Amino acid sequence: MMSFHRVLHDERVWSFALVAPALVTVGLLFIYPLGFSAVSAFSAEEGGWTFANFIKAFDLYSNDILFTVVIVSLSTVLIGFFAIAIGGYLTLGENPYAVAILKWLYRWPLFIPFIVAAQLMRTFLAKNGLMNNLIVGSGLLEPMQTQSFLDWRGIVITFVWKQTPFVALLVAGAMASLDRSMIESARNLGASRIRILVEIILPQVRPTIVVGLILSFVVMMSVLSVPIMINAQTPTMLTVDMAFRINAYGDYGVANALGFISYLMTGVVAWIYLRQGVRQGAAP
Amino acid sequence: MAGESLTVDGVKVSYSDVQVLAGVSIDVAPGEFIALLGSSGCGKTTLLRAISGFVPVDAGRVLVSDRDVTNAPPDKRGMAMVFQSYALWPHMTAAQNIGYGLRLRKVARIELDRRVAETMSLLGLDGLGSRLVTQLSGGQRQRVALGRALAVEPQTLLLDEPLSNLDARIRQSVRHEIKALQQQLQITAIHVTHDREEAMVMADRIVILDRGNIAQIGTPEDVYNRPRSSFVAAFMGADNVIPLTAKRDEGALRVSASDDHADAVLSIADGDEGANLVGTGDGELAAHFRSEAARLVEVSDRPQGSLVLFGKVIQTSYPGGIYRYTIDMGGRNYLVDDPKKLAVGDAVGICLPAQSLHLFPANPTEAS
Repeated sequence: MMSFHRVLHDERVWSFALVAPALVTVGLLFIYPLGFSAVSAFSAEEGGWTFANFIKAFDLYSNDILFTVVIVSLSTVLIGFFAIAIGGYLTLGENPYAVAILKWLYRWPLFIPFIVAAQLMRTFLAKNGLMNNLIVGSGLLEPMQTQSFLDWRGIVITFVWKQTPFVALLVAGAMASLDRSMIESARNLGASRIRILVEIILPQVRPTIVVGLILSFVVMMSVLSVPIMINAQTPTMLTVDMAFRINAYGDYGVANALGFISYLMTGVVAWIYLRQGVRQGAAP
Repeated sequence: MAGESLTVDGVKVSYSDVQVLAGVSIDVAPGEFIALLGSSGCGKTTLLRAISGFVPVDAGRVLVSDRDVTNAPPDKRGMAMVFQSYALWPHMTAAQNIGYGLRLRKVARIELDRRVAETMSLLGLDGLGSRLVTQLSGGQRQRVALGRALAVEPQTLLLDEPLSNLDARIRQSVRHEIKALQQQLQITAIHVTHDREEAMVMADRIVILDRGNIAQIGTPEDVYNRPRSSFVAAFMGADNVIPLTAKRDEGALRVSASDDHADAVLSIADGDEGANLVGTGDGELAAHFRSEAARLVEVSDRPQGSLVLFGKVIQTSYPGGIYRYTIDMGGRNYLVDDPKKLAVGDAVGICLPAQSLHLFPANPTEAS
């Protein structure tokens, strides 16, 4: 009996030793900074607990909080739409050449960093940028009628352009792994391609879509370069405000409060995801 | 629901450079049950998919009641298919799966519910409508797949090895159920299978395919008792082959003696009495037979109208009621049952009555 306990004890020591490096890394690089910034968000400069940082954050930046939620949510919806359209065409497209070209093309933005994507969009979406030049060149608009897209629209366009391939990659993979005869059986009964996509394929790949969109939501919440480079005006996104509080004022309290608010937003999304996972897991 | 006739006329299909169907023609009568039988890679599933419209044909036509549907999409052919994997949608209940085709046809809610309930009770699925298909057993899923196809009241039912995922016991009963259902509804059915017995039990006529060509079309009795080629004979279980030298002599065939067998005069009369002879019967022949048609005789016996092969008992067993012997004949082994008790090493004659023999030219090019 004694030796059995000893073996058990030894095994626990060893298993702890094996996970320790990972645990320490997560603790030092993630849990500690997160806890520190959360604590700092609720701390007064002169010591003690306070909501002052949050009050100030809401006073100064409530428009930006709303702006961030709207921009990221809208982008997420559009990313979902385009990713499903791309995945759907790759799965159901009947022109093999078009499918091959799309398959080759759609992944390119994946390999371009956000800051480069933002720079590309600056030259593309500006008042005298490539997009307007093309429109003017084709005679659709006069030069005087053109406008710059370097505002909230530019951010949304950049986010969607950059993140759609990521979600499309996951979604197309999930769609391709479905039993092909499930699609054929619907086709055999007379379902159109759009109905097959909506009624047969989407319900089965929904978990993958949700995961892809949540990951994209979190990534977009944390991007600084895109709003800074494309939308140099107010309202802007919370990442820009955080950078500004720190760089201009050394005001870590408000910056951390804004960070905490971002964290709550992603937390809500993660909660939705987890709730769905639990519901699926609980299904008999 | 009533079946329509189906004509497949010279259909050719290739996948990239490989020709899978080399000009296949079949005429199916309304309400007929046809089995497409063949080993894997023979093109039977491709033929079914060409009929259903999932595979474009390179040449030839598919006609439904004289209506050319060669280029029609799968849903415009009055056909419904049951897939090998069932292809049920796991996010829908059994009733939703069965009713999906009706929903696509914009059948009113009350009528849809009535027809789904009717189909489910026809298939013995009462009370399972609200279950997700993932909660059903293999046999029940198979019925749901069948119900989904039948609910839209197709004129032609296409079955792509629908029984291959069921265990042997259930398969036996489902065979008869499907056949009974098809007769009750009087729909035309095309059934793909590699299982000989399944094809025999279910089909009115069997189409045996070999490397993209039709080897033979006929009733189960036809293809079993009168195979027209060495391939069909072997495929239908007459897979023991012995070489013979023979000469045609009016209504009979004179077989010369060899080390392996005695000489014999075999009837080649049509019907149940004679051997099944393809070709002239002169020269080198390949004789096919089924082990179960053989019986044991004394080596010196020469029963009239039968061929006697010389063999030696190399193993005996008693499975009950009858002895089972492994007989060695010229290096090949045959299993033969006989009520007489024999010992290992005994020389015996294997007696094959003329009607159990299928005789083909040894070199098929001489067949014509």
